Amino acid sequence: MTQRRILTALPALALGAVLAACGGSSSGGTPAPAGSSGGGASGSLTVGAAGFTESNVLAQMYADLLEKAGFTVSIKTVASQEIFQSSLEKGTIAVVPEYAATYANSLQTEVTGTQSPTAASPDLQTTLTNLEKYAKKKGLTHLDPANAVDQNAFAVTTDYASQHHLTTLSDLGASGLSVKLAATAECSARPFCKPGLEQTYKIKIGSILPLGFDTLPVKQAVKSGKAQLGLVATTDATLASFGLVVLTDDKHLQNADNLIPIVNASVLQQHPEIATAINPLAQLLTTADLGNLDKQVDVERKTVKDVAQAYLQSKGLL
Amino acid sequence: MVLPAAGDCLLRNAWICGKYVSTRRDTILADLRQHVILTVVAVVIGFLLSVPLTLFVRRFRRAEGAVIGLTSILYGVPSVALFAVLVPFTGLTARTVEIGLVTYTLVIFVRNNLAGLDAVPADVRDAAQGMGMGSTRMLLRVELPLALPAILAGFRVATVSTVALVTVGALVGTGGLGQELNDAFSSYFKAEALTASVLCVLLAVVADLLIVGVGWWLTPWRRGRQT
Repeated sequence: MTQRRILTALPALALGAVLAACGGSSSGGTPAPAGSSGGGASGSLTVGAAGFTESNVLAQMYADLLEKAGFTVSIKTVASQEIFQSSLEKGTIAVVPEYAATYANSLQTEVTGTQSPTAASPDLQTTLTNLEKYAKKKGLTHLDPANAVDQNAFAVTTDYASQHHLTTLSDLGASGLSVKLAATAECSARPFCKPGLEQTYKIKIGSILPLGFDTLPVKQAVKSGKAQLGLVATTDATLASFGLVVLTDDKHLQNADNLIPIVNASVLQQHPEIATAINPLAQLLTTADLGNLDKQVDVERKTVKDVAQAYLQSKGLL
Repeated sequence: MVLPAAGDCLLRNAWICGKYVSTRRDTILADLRQHVILTVVAVVIGFLLSVPLTLFVRRFRRAEGAVIGLTSILYGVPSVALFAVLVPFTGLTARTVEIGLVTYTLVIFVRNNLAGLDAVPADVRDAAQGMGMGSTRMLLRVELPLALPAILAGFRVATVSTVALVTVGALVGTGGLGQELNDAFSSYFKAEALTASVLCVLLAVVADLLIVGVGWWLTPWRRGRQT
């Protein structure tokens, strides 16, 4: 799970606490309106988007593919993925783009109430097995996971990499070099960050510059040499412009946060064409593609609609 | 695909960018329209609900503290929390947002309605009674016109505050121009943030002026006086 998503999840967790505190006191148990979705003969579906670029682009692509398959589709963009959880369980939202490991953990927390979920794993298959187990209890299921992964990654400058012959994090550990790490302040305590780098890769970390997750200051600090290693996202397509290169996570420290469509199971049963419409995207979408799509929206400021459409057309899916 | 020219304001992430507006015109207009509808519906329903509440308090004066207190407490509930409580029941719909918005207008309307009616001078009421008016006729013919400026002041505050509050609805996917603001914050899109903010402010100013105009038209006896 990337730090950015942990941060957006925090307010939602606070909301959960408020909900628990106010449980049962809200007026009236009115059943959810059937809405414009959830199957039926109408064939209209709602796709959920979690309000950040990557989620918005994926949701738009799902919507385009579903429309092509003959559905009438609308997109509901909310502020964070936790907000549409109840609608997804009811089926008023049919499908949302999610991250396999992150979502498996959040489902486990929701189902079992545990504060330290273990469903996520660096291995995709293990993650999916766990995801399925908890999703079933919520009336949810998933479609094919994409090859694209949005994970934490660690970058160095290309000069530094070639000077010390580094391509993987293992190389960096073996080199015996001591590095300064530009990352979030929490990095010192997170298993996928400083402790993991030290234990799994034997990397010597001198100190942490608390500059955030994949922020401009992180990239500038590495570029200027204030830090040698920086915490970035695998989908950051701007790294090359800073002269940075990602060292491969060859021992799989990071969880399998592959992009994956989460679907309401009964809606999918009613409309199996949802799977046939969206699944072809999974094999084609790579991490580099994803970074490039994010960049077109966040840097080139193209509209999500145009970016999604152009990509699907270039892959022959539209 | 056309490559943007050098100096493209979208690429520079400029605060003011005509190209932002021209490339997203349809979305902006749709969200502006939704913003207006959400506001109008909330203010109208809020006022209609405030009428029986006001009359109830006028009849049972001892309930005043409870009614004002309750509407104040509701006003104090953070909208984020309110939406979170409502979503499991009403879903990600306009209804969820409207319930919140209407709730927030109540304290403004009830207070202003009461203040207006309470400010009617006792001798005017005595005179109306002396002319043989019943309580309903007195309310409609004497008290209501005299209370109108205060009631309209309530409309102004309720409308302007609702225009601002609508944006919070973006959390649950129905927030008018709040959708642009949310997106602008998450992707650091300056033109989007500024354009949506300016439109919100303009909307509030236009709505306020409209209500002032309606007030001027409804209270001809006050024209030429300072409001």
